[in-house]
Amino acid sequence: VDIKGLPRPLDGDEEPVKLSEAFPLNCHPRYFRLTTHAIPASQSLVSRWHLPLGAVVHPLAESPDGEEVPVINFGSAGVIRCRRCRTYINPYATFADAGRKWRCNLCTLLNDVPGEYFSALDASGRRYDTDQRPELSKGTVEFVAPTEYMVRPPMPPSYFFLIDVSVSAVRSGLLEVVAKTIKSCLDELPGFPRTQIGFLTFDSTLHFHNFKSSLSQPQMMVVADLDDVFLPLPDDLLVNLVDSRHVVDSFLDSLPNMFHDNVNVESALGPALKAAFMVMSQIGGKLLVFQSTLPSLGIGRLRLRGDDVRAYGTDKEHTLRVPEDPFYKQMAAEFTKNQIAVDIFSFSEKYSDIASLGSLAKYTGGQVYHYPSFQAVTHGDKLKHELSRDLTRETAWESVMRIRCGKGVRFTTYHGHFMLRSTDLLALPAVDSDKAFAMQLSLEETLMTTQTVYFQVALLYTSSSGERRIRVHTAAAPVVTDLSEMYRQADTGAIVSVLGRTAVENSLSDKLDSVRQQLQLKLVRSLKEYRNLYVVQHRIGGRLIFPESLRYLPLYILAICKSLALRGGYADVSLDERCAAGFSMMILPVKGLLNFIYPSLYRVDEVLTLEPNKIDFSLKRLPLTMQCLDTGGLYLLDDGFTFLVWLGRMLPPELVNSVLGISLANFPDLSKIQVTECDNEFSRNFMKILRTLREKNPSYHQLCRVVRQGEQPREGFLLLSNLVEDQMAGTSSYVDWILQIHRQTQS
Amino acid sequence: MSEFLDLEAQDGIRMTWNIIPGTKQDAANCVVPVSAIYTPLKPNPAIPVLPYAPLRCRMCRSILNAFSVVDFVAKIWVCPFCFQRNHFPQHYSTISENNLPAELFPQFTTVEYISTAETGPVAPPVFLFVVDTCMIEEEIGYLKSALAQAIELLPDQSLVGFITFGTYVQVHELGFGLLQKSYVFKGTKEVTKEQILDQMGFFAGKTKPTTGVIAGARDGLSAGNIARFLLPASECEFVLNSIIEELQKDPWPVSADKRSSRCTGVALSVAASLLGVCVPGSGARIMAFVGGPSTEGPGSIVSKSLSEPIRSHKDLDKGSPQLYTKAVKFYENISKQLVDQGHVLDLFACALDQVGIAEMKVAVERTGGIVVLAESFGHSVFKDSLRRIFQTSDNDLDLSFNGIFEINCSKDVKIQGIIGPCTSLEKQSPLSSDTVVGQGNTSAWKMCGLDRKTSLCLIFDIAKKDGPDSIVQSASNQFYFQFLTYYQHHGGQMRLRATTLSRKWVAGSGSELIAGFDQEAAAAVMARLVSFKMEAAHNLHVAFRLLSQYDGYSLVPADFDPIRWLDRALITFCSKFGDYHKETPSSFSLSPRLSIFPQFMFNLRRSQFVQVFNNSPDETAYFTMMLNRENVANAVVMIQPSLISYSFQSGPEPVLLDVTAIAADRILLLDSYFTIVIFHGITIAQWRKAGYQDQEGHESFAQLLQAPKEEADAIIKERFPVPRLVVCDQYGSQARFLLAKLNPSVSYNSDNPPPPGGDVIFTDDVSFQVFMDHLQRLAVQ
Ligand SMILES: [Zn+2]
Ligand SMILES: [Zn+2]
Repeated sequence: VDIKGLPRPLDGDEEPVKLSEAFPLNCHPRYFRLTTHAIPASQSLVSRWHLPLGAVVHPLAESPDGEEVPVINFGSAGVIRCRRCRTYINPYATFADAGRKWRCNLCTLLNDVPGEYFSALDASGRRYDTDQRPELSKGTVEFVAPTEYMVRPPMPPSYFFLIDVSVSAVRSGLLEVVAKTIKSCLDELPGFPRTQIGFLTFDSTLHFHNFKSSLSQPQMMVVADLDDVFLPLPDDLLVNLVDSRHVVDSFLDSLPNMFHDNVNVESALGPALKAAFMVMSQIGGKLLVFQSTLPSLGIGRLRLRGDDVRAYGTDKEHTLRVPEDPFYKQMAAEFTKNQIAVDIFSFSEKYSDIASLGSLAKYTGGQVYHYPSFQAVTHGDKLKHELSRDLTRETAWESVMRIRCGKGVRFTTYHGHFMLRSTDLLALPAVDSDKAFAMQLSLEETLMTTQTVYFQVALLYTSSSGERRIRVHTAAAPVVTDLSEMYRQADTGAIVSVLGRTAVENSLSDKLDSVRQQLQLKLVRSLKEYRNLYVVQHRIGGRLIFPESLRYLPLYILAICKSLALRGGYADVSLDERCAAGFSMMILPVKGLLNFIYPSLYRVDEVLTLEPNKIDFSLKRLPLTMQCLDTGGLYLLDDGFTFLVWLGRMLPPELVNSVLGISLANFPDLSKIQVTECDNEFSRNFMKILRTLREKNPSYHQLCRVVRQGEQPREGFLLLSNLVEDQMAGTSSYVDWILQIHRQTQS
Repeated sequence: MSEFLDLEAQDGIRMTWNIIPGTKQDAANCVVPVSAIYTPLKPNPAIPVLPYAPLRCRMCRSILNAFSVVDFVAKIWVCPFCFQRNHFPQHYSTISENNLPAELFPQFTTVEYISTAETGPVAPPVFLFVVDTCMIEEEIGYLKSALAQAIELLPDQSLVGFITFGTYVQVHELGFGLLQKSYVFKGTKEVTKEQILDQMGFFAGKTKPTTGVIAGARDGLSAGNIARFLLPASECEFVLNSIIEELQKDPWPVSADKRSSRCTGVALSVAASLLGVCVPGSGARIMAFVGGPSTEGPGSIVSKSLSEPIRSHKDLDKGSPQLYTKAVKFYENISKQLVDQGHVLDLFACALDQVGIAEMKVAVERTGGIVVLAESFGHSVFKDSLRRIFQTSDNDLDLSFNGIFEINCSKDVKIQGIIGPCTSLEKQSPLSSDTVVGQGNTSAWKMCGLDRKTSLCLIFDIAKKDGPDSIVQSASNQFYFQFLTYYQHHGGQMRLRATTLSRKWVAGSGSELIAGFDQEAAAAVMARLVSFKMEAAHNLHVAFRLLSQYDGYSLVPADFDPIRWLDRALITFCSKFGDYHKETPSSFSLSPRLSIFPQFMFNLRRSQFVQVFNNSPDETAYFTMMLNRENVANAVVMIQPSLISYSFQSGPEPVLLDVTAIAADRILLLDSYFTIVIFHGITIAQWRKAGYQDQEGHESFAQLLQAPKEEADAIIKERFPVPRLVVCDQYGSQARFLLAKLNPSVSYNSDNPPPPGGDVIFTDDVSFQVFMDHLQRLAVQ
């Protein structure tokens, strides 16, 4: 096998742009992607398609300038929907009876056109006003929802902060970073002037803070009865930011000092969550939890069950990755019911049971941020950026999402962070542009009779400005009877997204080893099926063949197996990091996921020496293998969360000195290095590269870490384990993998 | 009378019988018990303060005193109580007839010892404010300004703590500094000392000792932790002021048909436990400011529903006493805890409604706390009283702490108990009588809080049986009494005040006894006794009724009838001591030594202490508590108000407490202790309204108007709590404050017409004359 000739996704995700040409009325693929844009017409066809049949939905994906989602207000006509299946009017709807009726493209029902919405039709049956009406001409639109779509007045954006102030939070400098960051974001929180804000700090006791606008300073009220948590005030714990701004400012200014001398090592997270729930339950909103130690007191206290090497490979292995105490899942259910989304920021230097904590985010549409062994000096910037993004990004509140599809198909499983309210309604207390969802389809009938299947994603939400809206994405896909057409229309990015998520989910109920085997099996079966097609047609013998559309799939599946969440066993990744990575994979959009499992590797030393105006910053990505690393080079690995700077052994010391401001000859502790701009051209160029990359991926802040060639064991953990094409500690290299797959497809 | 006053001035004591009936039977025949009203800290600059420890009798531990017989040659003194011969120690070796230590001077029957050796460093007094927030904004405003003023007046070195309460209890961490911080407790659950220790971070960062009682700095609590909650006034003035400044009405909503949720009981329990944790054994007082009834948690006195009225005397007598009984039980426990810790509960009850003084009384009285009852926090009764507590002036209360009161008596005298602000230490001794009245079964009492006015009523038992030998044996015919009061002086150091008395006893009964009879003291004792009996009977009654309710127990004792009891006592007393021919009422007369006693009894029968149905249970409890801590003179004013007349015809003169005192051209000044009334006769009132007092040529009228005001001011200045001042005119609505106290010699159904310009009282009460007629008739039978 020719290593060089193996396909590598060095251009990252390939959005199925050709589809947009074939189906111009479809929504843009950034919002909705099918794993194959060819829906099988029969169950038998499905059974021969061994890959997932489903979709990835990114309902609030950021759109480039000029492609803003049009907002439509139907006014007195009301939102035009199918009487039977509740589908929203869309470009695939057809008009009849001289424009007085419209036919639903999902269920074929003929609906009346309201008088206010009437328009005559042209000779081809097209409404004259089609081009003026985005809902009839564009796949993605947003409707302003009238009051029928509200069970209560639209909620104001509300942010409640639950902050662990036990000794580790104080000593690591966490409190100071959190306080300063929040303060710096106050002017940019969405929803001015309705935004609500509140804080609850805790250690072995709960500290409520009264932000009543008439106070000159906040008042702290300690409740220590953990078995019987109660609110010390009926109001003023969650307040209007504008009215109480001076009190909130004063609080954030004094927060780090307030607990400066705290020596409390306990953490009553469970009771604190209950308290937060009591504060927030009336309004809902976002709950941001900052946890710096293992919850030790009251309900929801967690055991140091840790990472037991003996559990690996046994039936008990997966239990380490799921919450032990049902409290967290129950609490999450309560939160969701009350429109509260939970984001977990975890900072412990020791085991902190991310598996349990994360389930709060998992069922509430939230997110898990993990900063192991947080130290303000090193991780402060990352936390600052990510917290700022979390607070200031546009957020949809108290939302629900439903995906309707045409007759014969049905979405059966959903993968991501949400709570399923009924069989097909996803409850999302909050959702934003950093969250994507995956789902799988099944055929309801043995034989499809239609030519086309329609899909419609509807996200009903409250905007930060207090408007109830429905974002609707509509897409059509052809029904096919030919398996090869399915292969042709396959979307590797979507497939990998669904596979990655199902693999993470499977790891919660199965051994890692089995999860990886299942992935491999799927790949083999799929390729075998494809091979059968071709052997019959073209008599191609002993070669491994893949369809063009799936040429990166074997490598991506190998990468999933080697991902932080699923790689190796006990010693390869700490349990918390593994779980945190798993939670991230469950929400990442396609592009982010692909880059996370197959990071970008760049050589940068050569670029640094160029004149600044000659750098175009579109660095060339390299295959993830040691063979690409020149000992005289400086490389950058970007997985979307971390920048890893690798210094080759033969790298000129002056260059290191210039770029990093350190001399390697002094054996500095590279784990403590902060990469900052130095006063020289190299450093300025280097920082510019980092900035450019960060701008491209604003969802996270890539923490810059430095490792030198041969510096073990750091090099192994940080870099080598990410070189997914190389063989390492019992894993296959890319070449071996291909050979293995090939062998198995032959048998 | 004046000799009794002299004795009181010297030793702070008034006795009912200054010549004592010598046997049990004699004493019983005297009706009025052998008893004393003693004011342990009565200020007297003549009392020597001795800078050394007292000498004690080896046998009975009584203290060397002026009545000890001293053998100067053998250097021996004989204890007058047990006749033990005691050797003087070395440092008394220079003693001689001409070189006596102060305690042996005959005029120094009362001396005070400061022994510096055995007392540790001076502990600063602690003031823990417990402040109700369930009030209308106006009341909160009044309370805020009163508190701010009090904080300003606090002695610099005293420690201060601050608790607020409403639906919940908030303990403010004054030492936090940065911003206001408080610990919040639910109002529905009692909080133990253990919980206080655990939940308020007394062991944060440290492991908690697993055994032993943990409390105070000596038991392992760091001074730093205690200083989070109790700070020197000088250090926390700013924090306290900002807390008071931002004090808010309890924020929990209350619907219109509901009372506020007010957890007074738990707030006091938290306060008691906090003090128990931080400063056990040191002088400390909880000052509770309560603006309404407790409705939440233990100690609540009424439900939240406004449709349920707060218990009245009638309800307590008839209805279901469950909440009452439970609350009293709860406050009894708090009082026990406070007494164990040596801490005081002061109660400032300011509301139109009742707040539960009747239930809380036990905790206030047993700890020697102050109680002030007013209609509003804006009323001068409250504002001025609070200021008086902290203000340094001639009328200082001299608040002292941690008192222990002990007595020694001659062998034939026993103590039944004390009615007054103290708690029995249950220290049984041969001195304690089997008959128990008030706090008994002991010869030592705890007085957590006491001041210069605190007066105890001691009820004695004469144990000597009739018999020839007894009379022969005691050659001297003297009974000796020694009262020892150990206390933390308001200056901080520990002191011991010792009063030793001697009284002659006589055998048999008769005229000799009359010479020693103190009518005023007797009235004060009878008032305390009748109140005590009413309350004891009531509590017994409630207890029995509860039993009957649960167990079908049918034996409910008959109600105590105070009027009948007083009448029988007075009749028996008069038959014994009066001069008369049998069956001839007109022949009846009383010695001047006894002559005003019936009038005292007449007015006592009509007073708030006996006619409780005219008042709420809270008012009754308040009046009784005041009666039980005041000296004889003040008690007499409570029983029988004083009345002074001002007119152009004569200078100010005391007049009979009778409706006939009213005249159109007179101003009357009534002092009924709790209320002072300036009453303008109708003519005076008309002149005043015409503004004559401001016109030239009418200076004497202006002076006439001014005179009673000045007198009232003088009374108000020295009285605590500050009395209510009512200024009214004849026929005005406020005139009832005067009329209610007057003898209805002229009522609407009496034959004699009022004098011109006089008044008629609309009452069915009997007049004093009718009362006396009956008394004379019955006494001579
Ligand atoms: Zn339809
Ligand atoms: Zn003796």
